[in-house]
Amino acid sequence: MNVIVPKTAAELNYGLSLPHRKMEDWRWTDLRQLIDRPYPPRQTVVAKGVEKLIKSSPFAKVASARMVFVNGHFAAEHSQLKNDELASKVKIEEPVIAMNAAFATDGARLRISGNADTPIELLFVSTDAAPRTIATRNVIEIEKEASVTVIETHMGEGAYLANCVTEISLGESAKLDRIKVELESGEAIHLSHTHVTLARNSVLNDFTLTSGAGVNRQNGTVEFQGQGIDAKVSGAFMLGGEQHADTRLVIDHQQPHCTSRELFKCVMDDHARGIFQGKVMVRKDAQKTDGKQSSHALLLSETAEFDAKPELEIFADDVVCGHGATSGDLNHDHLFYLMSRGIPEAEAKSLLIAAFVGEAFDVVAHEGIKEALVKFSRKWLTQHRRAG
Amino acid sequence: MLEIKNLHVKLADEDRVIINGLNLSVKVGEVHAIMGPNGSGKSTLSYVLSGREGYEVTEGSVTYRGEDLLAMAPDVRASKGVFLAFQYPIEIPGVATMQFLKVALNAQRKARGEKEMTTPDFMRYVKERAARLNISPDMLKRPVNVGFSGGEKKRAEILQMAVLEPALCVLDETDSGLDIDAMRVVADGVNGLRSPDRAMIVITHYQRLLDYIVPDFVHVLSQGRIVKSGDKALALELEANGYAEFAGEAA
Repeated sequence: MNVIVPKTAAELNYGLSLPHRKMEDWRWTDLRQLIDRPYPPRQTVVAKGVEKLIKSSPFAKVASARMVFVNGHFAAEHSQLKNDELASKVKIEEPVIAMNAAFATDGARLRISGNADTPIELLFVSTDAAPRTIATRNVIEIEKEASVTVIETHMGEGAYLANCVTEISLGESAKLDRIKVELESGEAIHLSHTHVTLARNSVLNDFTLTSGAGVNRQNGTVEFQGQGIDAKVSGAFMLGGEQHADTRLVIDHQQPHCTSRELFKCVMDDHARGIFQGKVMVRKDAQKTDGKQSSHALLLSETAEFDAKPELEIFADDVVCGHGATSGDLNHDHLFYLMSRGIPEAEAKSLLIAAFVGEAFDVVAHEGIKEALVKFSRKWLTQHRRAG
Repeated sequence: MLEIKNLHVKLADEDRVIINGLNLSVKVGEVHAIMGPNGSGKSTLSYVLSGREGYEVTEGSVTYRGEDLLAMAPDVRASKGVFLAFQYPIEIPGVATMQFLKVALNAQRKARGEKEMTTPDFMRYVKERAARLNISPDMLKRPVNVGFSGGEKKRAEILQMAVLEPALCVLDETDSGLDIDAMRVVADGVNGLRSPDRAMIVITHYQRLLDYIVPDFVHVLSQGRIVKSGDKALALELEANGYAEFAGEAA
């Protein structure tokens, strides 16, 4: 990282330099502008309304073993699982990780061996009246041939800055289904970095729903460290108001014979702004890589915005790689067809929007979780899109 | 049931006039065939009746059961019983056919102040009708028209018609792209829906469909207006002589 020269009040508070628009990866998300006040670290763990927040998780009815983190600390009384002890390994110089290293208080430590039949839900709950930084560092190790479904749910109330770094490693032939939902408070800032390393023949199915925070920046890095890996990374944005969400994903193919698929479906209404920066890197040794990436945006208002920056960096000569990005409003022919069958306009639009984002849910294999996502998207549509 | 008087329609973005003084009166229980060469305004007529964007009515009126049809939104027309079987049915990814049919039927019932149909009743109701049209349960699970063959799309349109039970059916080139066997299935489906309470407008370029769906009246559309009307014999006459003799009449 650059030499630390604090520039703003918030930076003085952090004691470090915030990323800003002159840094290529941060050109759309200038934290010097977006973080307009200091968010000091939280000192105490007194929290109210935790039960209520836990119950409002979209997955409250999905049978799962839960680990709850309240304001950055593991809350054993709300959790069914114990926290393990695992050391953090990621040493990347990246602003979100640096900030997390300075402020992280706790986090989930999971080591999975064998086949876990019940999903594990990591629930991060933030409750505070004053602006605070709440930082967590999770370490998840999935051993050789083990498989598990992990849900990461982020919720909260009030104005806070959540910083969540998750380190995941999959052993040989291990399998992870990961579902992250960002449903932070609308006044909150959510920063995250998810770093995944994949060993030979492992399988990753990753899905992220982004819908809560006023400002969201999510980094993802997926390292293909062995052969025969199959990874799918999908996401959906459902944004309205003045929400800002920026996802930067790096798919790093280091070994031959791996497959990667990314599909992002982004719905933006009002003045919302969505950004998808997806980079597929194919290193010299990663021959026979099959990588495809696409991002599609649905803009429901004239003032909504979507920026896509797809990148392919290919150093191997025998690969199949592609990317595509589209952006537009609802298809008028689709709308007319539905209306011509008697479906009123507002309902027809909802149906089409739900169908649009729903495509990204296909990566989720667990029926109960998928159903909860569909239900959430319908709820978002009814709450967000007023009839007419 | 339907009264079209002196209808003039142009494209909304261009000055091109497509329907140019069309008159047509359809009574309940009747089947009218509208035939005409390409570009005579057949499809435009179907779109204007169903309320598609992009067309502007500059003169004339369309009255449906005593009401001004042109003033209604497409979904209102549908709930009042107007149905268009599309020449090119539209593919809608992500919306399962069964779900689409259920939402459509219940929206129409709701608009008419009727009770919504329960899921088990609805499933039975659709499956019965689907079987008659050789539509498999698998097809009903697939997204609306996505990946359907030309014949499957046309059968799916007729299934929608059978499910929604409209009072006025407009069939736009329902025979296009169908082989004889597929056309027979579609025509049987349409004939099954003929009723004294229902009127149909069958738009077609070729006479062959009318061998299977026998109309009460045949009209020739040329340059945006009806230039000749008669009974089913007129269709045969057109088949023998072509449209050449009508080409200049409306000018």
